[in-house]
Amino acid sequence: MRAGKFICIIIVIVILMLLPLVVRNPYYIHLLIMVGINAVLAMTFILMLRTGLISLGIAAFWGIGAYTSALLSENAGLPVWLCFPSAAIITGIVAIIVGAFLVKQGGFGFIIQTLAFGFIIVLIFGTFEVFGGHVGIVDIPRPEPILIPYVGSIEFSFISKTPYYYLMLFLVLLMTLTLTAFYTAWAGSAWRAIGLSAYLAESLGINLFRYRLLAFVIASTVAGLMGSFYAHYYVSLVPASFGPFKTIYVHVYAILGGINSPIMGPIIGSLIMTFVPEFLRVTEGVEPIFTGILIILLILFLPSGLLGLTRLWQGRGKPHEDAAQPSP
Amino acid sequence: MLEVKRLSKYFGGLAAVNELDLKVDQSEILGLIGPNGAGKTTFFNMVSGFFPPTSGQVFFKDRDISRFKAHDIAQLGIGRTFQSSTLFMKLSVLDNVLTGYHMSYRTGFLKRILHSPSARKEERRFREKALEILEFMGIGSLRNELAANLPHGYQRILGISMALATDPKLLLLDEPATGMNANETRTLISLIRQIQNRGITIILVEHDMKAVMDLSDRIVVLNFGKKIAEGLPSEIKENREVIEAYLGKEEEAPLDAA
Amino acid sequence: MSVFIQLIVDGLAMGLVYVLLASGFNLIIGISRILFIAYGEFYMLGAWIIWGLMIPLKIPFFFALLVATLGPAVLGAIVYQLIFRYIQFKEQQLLTNIVAAMGLMLLMSQATLFIVGTESRGIPSVIRGIIDVGGVRISYEKVVLIALTLAVLIGLHVFLQKSKIGRSMRAVSFNPDVAALQGVNANLVYLGTVAVGCALAGFAGGLMAPVFAVSPKMGGVTLLIILVVMLGGVGSMPGAILSGLILGMTLSFGQYFLESGVAQIIFFVVIAVILFIRPGGLFGQAEQIPLQ
Repeated sequence: MRAGKFICIIIVIVILMLLPLVVRNPYYIHLLIMVGINAVLAMTFILMLRTGLISLGIAAFWGIGAYTSALLSENAGLPVWLCFPSAAIITGIVAIIVGAFLVKQGGFGFIIQTLAFGFIIVLIFGTFEVFGGHVGIVDIPRPEPILIPYVGSIEFSFISKTPYYYLMLFLVLLMTLTLTAFYTAWAGSAWRAIGLSAYLAESLGINLFRYRLLAFVIASTVAGLMGSFYAHYYVSLVPASFGPFKTIYVHVYAILGGINSPIMGPIIGSLIMTFVPEFLRVTEGVEPIFTGILIILLILFLPSGLLGLTRLWQGRGKPHEDAAQPSP
Repeated sequence: MLEVKRLSKYFGGLAAVNELDLKVDQSEILGLIGPNGAGKTTFFNMVSGFFPPTSGQVFFKDRDISRFKAHDIAQLGIGRTFQSSTLFMKLSVLDNVLTGYHMSYRTGFLKRILHSPSARKEERRFREKALEILEFMGIGSLRNELAANLPHGYQRILGISMALATDPKLLLLDEPATGMNANETRTLISLIRQIQNRGITIILVEHDMKAVMDLSDRIVVLNFGKKIAEGLPSEIKENREVIEAYLGKEEEAPLDAA
Repeated sequence: MSVFIQLIVDGLAMGLVYVLLASGFNLIIGISRILFIAYGEFYMLGAWIIWGLMIPLKIPFFFALLVATLGPAVLGAIVYQLIFRYIQFKEQQLLTNIVAAMGLMLLMSQATLFIVGTESRGIPSVIRGIIDVGGVRISYEKVVLIALTLAVLIGLHVFLQKSKIGRSMRAVSFNPDVAALQGVNANLVYLGTVAVGCALAGFAGGLMAPVFAVSPKMGGVTLLIILVVMLGGVGSMPGAILSGLILGMTLSFGQYFLESGVAQIIFFVVIAVILFIRPGGLFGQAEQIPLQ
């Protein structure tokens, strides 16, 4: 990575860390936290998309992580900090099992079945009492306070939103690093090859199923981790939040930003989609209508997303950030 | 090296390949010719694992690979090119060839993700080997060029380079000379001979008769999915049935242009 | 015994409606290659048109049914012309089609909620009366429902197999380029298919309106249709028939013997098992649309 880019990123991170000192309104902190969560979810969408998998079940795995974490902490009494990795791992296991079946299906079958899976998960969460039925789960334990030794007794207790913000920041950075590590490693080049020409990749010895499944499992595990965070942040869960409606929004974040940018695209898309309705004072009932129209306009006129526009304009492309040059 | 027994492929009621028996010996170049639609590409698709045969068997080094998947077959040592320029168009020439080294990675999963020194060392090694291949094929100077920007002839060469990266024992070349002029074809012929000298067995499907006659140690002729002739190039040139099969289709160049 | 027969009749009636819906959905997927997630909204539209025409305007049912069929068809055609037509022949067609359909679904479902509110409305029975068949009492309504859906299904089959338009549609679904060479206007076929599919949805919605309440959440039927289609095999008409009937029967018997929510879950389990054994669905070997 070039030095200039590295410094830029450091500066941005520092700014982000200092942000809560400037932004006092907890509502905006909440929005920022949601931006982080949504951005990571959108990243998982792009991860799978690159290998040719269009998943309509992203919110479902987000939900699996959330509910698992909630149950682990409430019913099994597991400390919240252990719940995060546990929920992620459990989600990953579910992803391996379900994914092995889904990925085998081929293009259309995969899409339809992830959609069905998405609906069914919501139904399961809403029906069985153990998940709280359609009322959901409330009063999920918050993360235990972290004590920082040596610096006097500074305690990070998760009562206000700010500590959550930092946790979110940490998770987003961690996920970004993890995904980037995969993208720049051999897995990333295999995914890129599969995405560009599956037949050719196969003739070069790349096992399509294995790599697609890998992408699917990684994406779902990451989504599960973010779900786990969400559960202990929002403190209550309602099944309806985890259905295909949510997945549609995740797609929009990714497409708005530009599906050719696996990291920056989702962040930008998520940022805009979260804050613009705020500033336009769009009421909740009407907002989905606007989103629906936005999606359609986006698809028709700006399929490469916003970053696709800027790249076109600047005429450059980065080898890893976007494996594919955007089509004009 | 490769043996095919009573191989057939039916699409609906139509036989694309019909009870084909074929043998290819180590280090030879087998030319496979026939009018368009004779089943040559279908044959390749079956051998390389993209289509399962309807009946019959494919043996590679005495091993039955008839039902193997394409990526497994590639790992066993059969490489191929495609009829149309199937390349990673949006990647550079070098990246295209590098992809061919995929199955040669030895470093462990975790080390690769963490970009450990041994992983990076391996990647450097592959890079060197890829550049070697590019030099050998004569397109070394184009290494950073986008595959989509290459002129057609070079694209075909790139396709062969990628197949070479997989370290094949058997190479299936599907009409590599398509769209090449006389000069380019001459270069191609010499390259293919050098590939053979490296010990790689080759099956060559080609319409350019001069190239086929020049390169092949033996020739097999297909028509309507069946083998209608087999033998040395000199014999095939005189073969009545073969000439008729070609004269029956106007687009083919007559054999005695070779 | 008579209860058993009634359950079968119920199952048949519901099942045939699902078959209708699954057929329309299959048409759009198989020919126009669009995963039309907004499909359920057109079904709902048909139902609401019936309500809107019959209750405030007192228009007789059969005429309203006609409008309920044509209205969604026209809307579907407009939507295709304005949106999907531009996407059909571009890169990344699969993804953009799906996302556009999702956008449409959001738009339509929210707009409906906005316009009619969240309450369901009822429509009084259109056809009263019961016929007595050997001791079993079956309402005329159901008989007419079954007769109508059967008629439409048979008509659809004949149309696709025999008529010129039907054959061009099937040609395009197999190979658009070859069809184009034979003078078939692919775009027109895509357009027509979406229109026909939406017509079927509207018709089904119209038929169901007097039988069940008309709610703004009816769009949710999309899930069931997707499951039916998955079960029967994507793009397969015989599959749609069989699995639609299975769904109908499962719901009918399930709702009688168990609570309604459980019946649906049983259906899901049945589907999961069948798909596990035969991943392509009952009449599987769905056309392998390659991921590239």
